[in-house]
Amino acid sequence: MGERPVILKAERLHKSYRMGATRVSVLKGVDLAVEQGQFVAVIGASGSGKSTLLHLLGGLDRPNEGTVSFDGQDLNRMRSWELNRFRNEMVGFVFQFYHLLDELDVLENVFLPTMVSRGIVGWLATRKAARERALKLLEQLGLQDRARHKPYQLSGGERQRVAIGRALMNEPRLLLADEPTGNLDSTTGNGILKVLERLHQAGQTIVMVTHDERVARRAQRVITLADGKVKT
Amino acid sequence: MYKLKLIIRYLVRRRITHFAVLTVALCVFIVVVVMTVMNGLVEEFKQKNHDFVGDCVVGTKSLVGFPYYEELMQALEATACVEAVSPVVKNYALLRPQYGGDRYVELLGIDPVRHSRVTNFAQTLYYRAADPAKAFVPVYEPNALGCVLGIDLALWRDARSEYTFDATPQRAAFSLTCFPLNARGAPAMAGTTVVSSQQFYYSDNSHSGIARVDDSTVYIPLDQAQSLCMAGERKRITAVHIRFRAGAELYGGCEQVRRLWSQFRQARADAPDGRLLDTVTVESWKEHRRAYIAPMEKEETLMSVMFSLVGITTVFIVFVVFYVIVSHKTKDIGVLKSVGASSASVMGLFSGFAFVVGLLGSVAGIAAGWLFLAYINRIEDWLYSRFGFQLWDRTIYAIGEIPHEVEFHVLAVIAFCAIVACLIGALVPAWGAARLRPVETLHGSRS
Repeated sequence: MGERPVILKAERLHKSYRMGATRVSVLKGVDLAVEQGQFVAVIGASGSGKSTLLHLLGGLDRPNEGTVSFDGQDLNRMRSWELNRFRNEMVGFVFQFYHLLDELDVLENVFLPTMVSRGIVGWLATRKAARERALKLLEQLGLQDRARHKPYQLSGGERQRVAIGRALMNEPRLLLADEPTGNLDSTTGNGILKVLERLHQAGQTIVMVTHDERVARRAQRVITLADGKVKT
Repeated sequence: MYKLKLIIRYLVRRRITHFAVLTVALCVFIVVVVMTVMNGLVEEFKQKNHDFVGDCVVGTKSLVGFPYYEELMQALEATACVEAVSPVVKNYALLRPQYGGDRYVELLGIDPVRHSRVTNFAQTLYYRAADPAKAFVPVYEPNALGCVLGIDLALWRDARSEYTFDATPQRAAFSLTCFPLNARGAPAMAGTTVVSSQQFYYSDNSHSGIARVDDSTVYIPLDQAQSLCMAGERKRITAVHIRFRAGAELYGGCEQVRRLWSQFRQARADAPDGRLLDTVTVESWKEHRRAYIAPMEKEETLMSVMFSLVGITTVFIVFVVFYVIVSHKTKDIGVLKSVGASSASVMGLFSGFAFVVGLLGSVAGIAAGWLFLAYINRIEDWLYSRFGFQLWDRTIYAIGEIPHEVEFHVLAVIAFCAIVACLIGALVPAWGAARLRPVETLHGSRS
């Protein structure tokens, strides 16, 4: 560490949830720094707080204590609209269960982040460029023939590649992947990991959460999360 | 932009949305049809009462009547806003046909020409509509005294509630019997003959369209009514009906007449029988016919209240539908928020969706209602010919056909209310959707 600038930094992150009458601490002081262009895997057992950490890093949730800063900016201090913009422009999420919108076709799912950030007039002005970008991404992901298909017409691996395309649509500086192969067979999962490796080689910063050591080993750096803390 | 796209897709793909649109459409359809028919009935009834009375009435409820009406009419005719005036004697009488049987009737003594200038009396006649001056001239006995009978006194309705007219009025004589009252309100010849009777011949019938009038009113010449019902030195009447000039404002005109009447009454306070003027009031046609119009208006109000309940039902149905939709779409909400959609934007998505549901439901309901109203009379005819069922009994409602004139401002109000009902129904689910935390919706849910 040290050659490339730190793009993402978490300090003394604490997060707990209320479950009925009791409060469950999930993260108990997590410190983490990710350099630009790094491919980091966060590994841990089920319930170790991996997904919670990812949500905090991506601004989907707020910590009880501690800070998450992206490019020197504290996410806690961001206003609601700034956080929305951050999620739209700076981060791309890939979820275990893909989470594609069934009402939209593949192409529309991919350019969804661009649509969300624009009103009707803005969208009409940029629609052509957005379509071209989305089609290019689909081509890179080997899905050019599936652009007009609906998510339910695709296999699991194809859906996950669409989700990756959506995450990359706005050219985010950070890609957060939550168990991206967790719902796929090993061959298909391997394909997805190859896509992530390719992205990493192209300079994309990636933080991937997994419970599978074999998957984690594909990353450049592995962080183990246990008992709500980083072990290595 | 994504909102528009998702709204369209939700509409097309979600069957439950179709039910929401259908519900709104049905509610709008019912409201459009019933409001149009009910409004039409009320407006028609009001118009008939207006036509029957004129614009303003200077009159008394006392059967004794009031004197000095000729000077009053002269003064009224000199008033700028007054177009025409008509003196009327109203009383009750016993109608006894030539061949037996009797019944009580309301007697209206009028000058047919003057009365036709103030009211639509001439148009209500069948044989003398073009020449009301001859309304009381029986064609079969031109020198005899004629009377005009309310149409339901003169003719029978057939099975379809329609009248059958003869080419000329049938020869028929009636005797009308009254209790003539003197200026003190006492029977004129108490102790000897306390009643006056006069024979009249049926000369025409009058169809005012007001069931109560057509069923019980007999029109006779004013002077005959005065001699039958009133006794005393000075001629009296019970009312002067007034028509205002075109463009004159009703309440402004009535106010002018009230002022004139006040001066007129003061000037004759000490004149012989001047106390009879104390019972006279000035009323607009609406006030004069209030007892008849108010129940219809009350029915209309009740109908509005019932439709408010329909509106609440719509709100509740839309609430349930949207609650279900939002429950099924929590994952979408999480995804949208993960790609940067704000809470306000998510709320806008579901509010916009509710707006479109309301809009489509309104358009469909209005179109269906319009179509139904366009054919409502044909449908009623078909029901009658096939099942002998008549939706509105013409003997009660006195309507030629079921009102079906759609008013655009009413449609606009109904559509607006439907859309607002949808927005209110969707408000809580949309608010709930907007407040959903993406972490809760995305964690562990399957695509």
